Amino acid sequence: MSDIGIQLIYWDRVLEAGFWILVTLFFYYFALRIQQALHGSPLANPVLLASAPIIGLLWGADIWVGDYQQGGQALIWLLGPATVGLAVPLYRNFSRVRSALVPMAVSLVVGSAVAVLSAVLIGDAMGASVETIRSLAPKSVTTPIAMGIADAIGGYPSLAAAFVIVTGIIGAVFGAMIFNAFGIRDARARGFAMGVAAHGIGTARAFQEDEVSGTFSGVAMALNGIVTALILPLLWLAFS
Amino acid sequence: MRSFFRLALAFALLVACDIAGRLIVWGLSLPVPGTVVGILILLAGLVALRRVPAPLKETAEFLLAHLNFFYIPAGVGVIGYAALLAGDLWPIVAALFASTFLAMIAAGFAFQFVSRLMREKGGGA
Repeated sequence: MSDIGIQLIYWDRVLEAGFWILVTLFFYYFALRIQQALHGSPLANPVLLASAPIIGLLWGADIWVGDYQQGGQALIWLLGPATVGLAVPLYRNFSRVRSALVPMAVSLVVGSAVAVLSAVLIGDAMGASVETIRSLAPKSVTTPIAMGIADAIGGYPSLAAAFVIVTGIIGAVFGAMIFNAFGIRDARARGFAMGVAAHGIGTARAFQEDEVSGTFSGVAMALNGIVTALILPLLWLAFS
Repeated sequence: MRSFFRLALAFALLVACDIAGRLIVWGLSLPVPGTVVGILILLAGLVALRRVPAPLKETAEFLLAHLNFFYIPAGVGVIGYAALLAGDLWPIVAALFASTFLAMIAAGFAFQFVSRLMREKGGGA
């Protein structure tokens, strides 16, 4: 019976993954408490507040990031089912979303074009390497799509993934401030713009504000992923 | 105990929709993420059912409220690229900040502008 050996390896990995998931949960709980203490301020972004001490812990204890990601991978995988849950607020706000199809379409096209073009132009103007610029282009879409796009246009998928995360945190932290400064008060517009520019981390923030914003952000995230994945590689081929 | 079972069932449903979506995307080699197809599958189910079962609502809302949690490992993963980032640090910082702000402003304005335009056309309804 060889399955005993298999089981030993299996449990070893499960324990290690479980340990790191608990560590993540611990720091997430603290991040939430800090955010609560700051009255839900978007400046206290839970992803930032929780990942920074974990990074510090890994560095301090000289632990390989890959060991941590034994558990991390499980959570990243669970992001899928959690995101599928978007169907529930989408169903509940279906008529709201359906009546905003035209503003959504215009906002999607404008927002995704500005997200890609401005990143590429600024990176280029400031002298970033070609690989960096190509990895910056898909920064506003969700991680798996951004990695695929970066690969298709000659960037580094893993670098693109890092840019996606940083973009999401920037959007989640400063979104409300930007919208207020520019008089964007419609909860639907705020949510949708958040989803277009800052994908899932922006959506997580939008849901902390209200369900309508969160729903529109989720719709924007899904649509932007599809549109960017379909159009960006074609545009890139046409212009380079 | 029964309510726990129902919540577990609701979670299993979300997982099943996600896996089904990923399989469809993989099988048909569609250029969209499987999870987006998973959302559409669940949405179609809810439209057919014409209501959201309470345990599903509870589970989905809980997970969406804590969506940030699932992004933490990705946040930790960013350090892996610190060395790659070093050479282009300032262009990257500038591009990420400015571009994210510009995209939010552009998308927000576009939405609000078109929405108001349509409302005026529709006689203020």
